[in-house]
Amino acid sequence: MTIENVLLVSAALFAIGAYGVVSRRSLVTVIMSLELMFNGVVIAAVAFSRFTPSAALLSGDPLTAEAIRSALTGHAFAIFVTAVAAGEAALAFALVFAMYRVKESVEITDASEMKN
Amino acid sequence: MEVSTLTTIAFWAVSAMILGFATIVVTQRDVFRAAIALAGSFLGVGILYFVLSAEFVGVVQILVYVGAISVLMAFAVMFIQDIASGSRPSQGRLVGAAVAVLVFGVFAFTAYNTNWSSMDAITDPVIVAALTEGFVEVGTGNAIEIFTDLPVDENAVAVKNGGVFVDSSGSIGVLVVREYMLAFELIGLLLVAALIGGLLLMRNPSTTDELVKGDFSV
Repeated sequence: MTIENVLLVSAALFAIGAYGVVSRRSLVTVIMSLELMFNGVVIAAVAFSRFTPSAALLSGDPLTAEAIRSALTGHAFAIFVTAVAAGEAALAFALVFAMYRVKESVEITDASEMKN
Repeated sequence: MEVSTLTTIAFWAVSAMILGFATIVVTQRDVFRAAIALAGSFLGVGILYFVLSAEFVGVVQILVYVGAISVLMAFAVMFIQDIASGSRPSQGRLVGAAVAVLVFGVFAFTAYNTNWSSMDAITDPVIVAALTEGFVEVGTGNAIEIFTDLPVDENAVAVKNGGVFVDSSGSIGVLVVREYMLAFELIGLLLVAALIGGLLLMRNPSTTDELVKGDFSV
């Protein structure tokens, strides 16, 4: 397991998600594919955190607790992205329900205008 | 077997699980099955974080994605009757495949053709020990004491403060409320905004109209 392998999986998940976003017609599956893309990005962040050292550790300056903690920046980033993704999913489904109520359809081709 | 061999096997097994379920999500016509496969893919990603020694992120992934977002997806699928007929593919299928192959190609090329700096570049034994065994922060400043030789005593301070990649939760907590305080606060604001926005979009228009007129009996 090297960083290249993990990034390969991350890229594959992102690409599968991108395919889903473009090729599906139902908004619900499009949102599912978007979540897959989010996961691909977060995997890359965690992989960088795990395999590459932060600049503060390589600089040769006296070791500080801050410098050691900077090795976990990718983890903090992953948690923030997860929080944003959760908010995004909730709002996206609220929009889908609003559209379903007005148009009785969740097909992406019917979504060109939200005005009834 | 060596630990690294086992880790590699676990990594490829989990990767196969993630990508297999993800493929089902984007190809399955039955949307409910796609939602179940999505939960499986999320679970696989959670396990992958454990393999990458990111336990805290793994737990967050399982709580938020497998626990909350999957339930939201299942709820949406059951709420919208229209979807029972299945999710049809759009005309953009070939375009989608082309985009996916292109994106994957570029990312994979970059991943394999970049000279990533490696953790092996760290030769200072003190830093290695701090990253893998443990460190103790002394006082409020930046001074730390490194324990390379962990004491056998269970109650020793060094045992309670595992290294960053051994027991990362505490360090992530400090990192989030110190270095990333602003982002942390903004996330709270964002979630409140999302909550209010969701409620506003989901409201029943007729009930809200009566509320606006001042009739609070509904």
